[in-house]
Amino acid sequence: MKKVFLVFLFVLIVMTVFASDKVITLNLIEAFSSPWRTPTLKKLVGMFEEQNPGIKINIISPPYETAYQKINLMVSTEQPLDIIEIGDWDLSTLAGMRKLVDLAPYIDAWPEKSNFVDGVMKAAKTYHGIAYVMPHGLFAKTLFYRPDILKKYGLSGYPKTMQQMYDYARKLTLSSDKQYGFDFRGKGYPTSFIDAVVTSFFDDIDPENMYLTKEGKIIFSDPRAKEGLEFYVKLYKDTAPRDSINWGWDEQVNSFVSGITPLLFQDPDTTGMLNSMLKPGQYRTAPLPVGKGGKAYPSFGFVGWGIPTYSKHKDLAWKFIKFVDSPKNNAFWCKAYGALPIMKSIYKEDKYFSSGVFEGWVEMFNDKVHYQFTQYPLSNKYWGKWNGYQEKTMQQVLLGKLSIDQCLKEWTDFWKKAGIAK
Amino acid sequence: MKKRRYKVIRFILLSIFLLIAVFPLYWIVLTSFKPTNEVYSFPIRYWTSHPTLYGYKKLFEFVNFGRYFINSSIVSLTASLFSTTFAMLAGYVLSRSNFKGKTFSILFLFFAQMLPSYLIMVPQYEMFSKLKLINHLISIMIIYTGLGASFSTIMARAFFVRIPKDMEEAALIDGCTRLLALFKVVIPLMLPGLAAILSFSFVNNWNELFTAVLFLNTSNKYTVPVGLYSIISKAGVQWNILAAGIVIALAPTIAVFSVAQKYIIAGLTQGSIKG
Amino acid sequence: MEFKSKTFVYLMLLPVMSVVAFIVIYPTIGGIILSFRDYSIYSFGNVRWVGFDKYTEIFTDSTFLGVLKNTLIWIIGSVTFQFLLGFILALLMREPFKGRGIFTGFVFYPWAVSGFAIGLIWSWLLNGQFGIVNDLLLKLGMIKSGINFLSSPNMAMFSVILVNIWYGIPFFAIMILAALQSIPNSLYEAASIDGAGYFTKLFKITIPYIRPTLVSTILLRIIWVMNFPDIIYGMTRGGPGGSTEILSVRMINTVFYESDYSKAAAYGVIMVSILLAYTVMYLRLTSSKEVRL
Repeated sequence: MKKVFLVFLFVLIVMTVFASDKVITLNLIEAFSSPWRTPTLKKLVGMFEEQNPGIKINIISPPYETAYQKINLMVSTEQPLDIIEIGDWDLSTLAGMRKLVDLAPYIDAWPEKSNFVDGVMKAAKTYHGIAYVMPHGLFAKTLFYRPDILKKYGLSGYPKTMQQMYDYARKLTLSSDKQYGFDFRGKGYPTSFIDAVVTSFFDDIDPENMYLTKEGKIIFSDPRAKEGLEFYVKLYKDTAPRDSINWGWDEQVNSFVSGITPLLFQDPDTTGMLNSMLKPGQYRTAPLPVGKGGKAYPSFGFVGWGIPTYSKHKDLAWKFIKFVDSPKNNAFWCKAYGALPIMKSIYKEDKYFSSGVFEGWVEMFNDKVHYQFTQYPLSNKYWGKWNGYQEKTMQQVLLGKLSIDQCLKEWTDFWKKAGIAK
Repeated sequence: MKKRRYKVIRFILLSIFLLIAVFPLYWIVLTSFKPTNEVYSFPIRYWTSHPTLYGYKKLFEFVNFGRYFINSSIVSLTASLFSTTFAMLAGYVLSRSNFKGKTFSILFLFFAQMLPSYLIMVPQYEMFSKLKLINHLISIMIIYTGLGASFSTIMARAFFVRIPKDMEEAALIDGCTRLLALFKVVIPLMLPGLAAILSFSFVNNWNELFTAVLFLNTSNKYTVPVGLYSIISKAGVQWNILAAGIVIALAPTIAVFSVAQKYIIAGLTQGSIKG
Repeated sequence: MEFKSKTFVYLMLLPVMSVVAFIVIYPTIGGIILSFRDYSIYSFGNVRWVGFDKYTEIFTDSTFLGVLKNTLIWIIGSVTFQFLLGFILALLMREPFKGRGIFTGFVFYPWAVSGFAIGLIWSWLLNGQFGIVNDLLLKLGMIKSGINFLSSPNMAMFSVILVNIWYGIPFFAIMILAALQSIPNSLYEAASIDGAGYFTKLFKITIPYIRPTLVSTILLRIIWVMNFPDIIYGMTRGGPGGSTEILSVRMINTVFYESDYSKAAAYGVIMVSILLAYTVMYLRLTSSKEVRL
């Protein structure tokens, strides 16, 4: 009897030992998954798992176009997740569910915090000042151009002002039947394209809110917005293919690569695609052209990591986030898919991020007089309705179905109703 | 003479149909063999002087197509076999009998086809998550069977209605049971219809994306369309790779249609021109 | 002819009804409830009842009527031509010819392309600058300058319908082809003796005989086409300027742009109501002694 008892006890002990030694699995979901980027993430995960035996990270990579929707559903039904990749425009949805952990205590305790690029903490605290997300990459629009095509038509350098860009583009368009100038975007979130042009006619945009002047006036009610929008329409009518009212990302890149429209505003992640399709030197970047106000107002886009409140392994999740965001790994990660790194030291130490491809951004970052980064009112509850609405009304203006005055009035009313004016 | 003329006209018309259907396919196949720098070259090239398997190589590097094929085959076959069998039984009684609730049943089947994806998405997801079926192939199998069965029953009923009842009645008089009469007499006559329904359900299931994307999480559970869809990223799509994926995903369905037509057109007596 | 045992009837119906009920009933009720709450961006943390708010928002939107009109054009344009061309194709394929197996595979494959891929492929083919359709038409000398397939409002609707026709022909062709097989040859032989021509036979024998299939396929197709946003979403997202926005596309836009799942559900309820009313009417009007309702 005693023997049986001892055996039983032994088995019990062995079981508990094994149970406590069980591998912990963290579930990570990607928002911007891509066949080019996911392998990089897998490599980083492999390195992390090697350093931390007993932890396994399970990557979920939903197709990009439905990723937000899937993440929203998974988080709202509390599917097992420990690390969530959060894109800037999905942050409010997730934060609004009250299912994200405030990362401030973690970030504050991290020595690398002082190494953050300006704007990282601002991005982290986008939602009502609470740090729900730890950005791992930044985006900002800059000017991409094709020196080879410009040269063919006797143009050198790159346009430094909006008017110059129009002149370049106009000359290209007039030079040949199949040649156009500006790579216009009419479909699928054209928001930041419209705004980059319109706000360049200002010199007093609120650094906290793209749609306000420093005095707190809604920009669309300002006569300068009218000038800006008129210019934008002219850019479409005089220098872009008519078809481009229906262009999204794919068409823009397609057209840029084939040389039809050699002047393009785009985010840094475009570089990955362009590098695989064009030879080195066939494209370069330059700062956004400044407008009549002598300035340009790029907005920061970002993507980062968050931790759901219901995760059972929050500390481990943070450990992983800290690991992938460390300067060395962040450089590797951003290089792989073309985001701008979050650590200052990377720009100094890594030659790639000061090479020709990145000229545009580096110059914009260094020139604080002409380039002032600003933000979208992402935590305003009308933001969700804005993108589709702006896209549709803008198209109507381009089609001549809505006058510029009427459009600006509607946009002003929209933001008045949203209550952003101070 | 008249017959000859008919054949010529038929040949021309069929060629037009084929041409219109196939020209995008030609473009996709061509693109799948183009090197990346040629995909966007301008002016447009209708031939490639440097055919390459790069697109296919990358595709298999990116996505685990072998696994997706197995998953898709399991799901599509199981669901379409179940739904067609169910539809056969239900379609038969709906075509032969008047009973209480018949109108309601038919309307209910149509109703199941009407539901827009975003109306039921959230509650359906919650339901399957409560049943702990998220990220299991069984979840989409059940959904495909249900959707397939409602559509197939509607179609089966329409086909059954036209099958003469006298032969069945003769069989019944001979002492066959109802079910036996169905299997011995009606089903052989129904074969074209059932082949059409089965091949259609299979293809529908093979293609289904919306539910699969939502309900399957890990890549070893993905189906072919989910795999294809995941090639598109925030930074757009590289056409030669996606084209390679489309070609591979299409191959089995083209084969299914090619084979199914034999049964769909079975039983036709050859000869005279019909109206 | 009647079944003696009603139990047999219900047993035969049981598998279909139970599996359909399982996947449909709870989600439908849930969806209707959803449409009366506020399950949307900024409200997920505090989902509350809002009554008819979402519906009011939909009906007071000045563009709603336009969307209904677009939906109607989309359905009528698509289904009419899918049906006619599918019917013709089925008639042509009725009799054997060399290579019919391969032919079938290649003529029917459009149905097998995923919706998102169709949208992508065709918006590429129809692109005004680097699309091959314009390029080919120009090379063949059929047009002088490129057609704005997707950038002018009228052409855009035309283009997306064209693509939908391309995609939908196989469905009608297959179903009708299968139905044609059930027509007894004796009917045609008798008609031939009476000296009936091709079209007389078509309208006097073929069409009346396969009517139940035609009635069901057309109705199913109308339902599916109304609920099918993939092509438009992939090609224009409802643009330019809302000119191709149909109900199902607006529903997607409500989810993708606005993250308003409740409003999307309300659109869903409206769509189902329209379809349900239409189906009942349609079945009443087309009911014959075979298709009783």
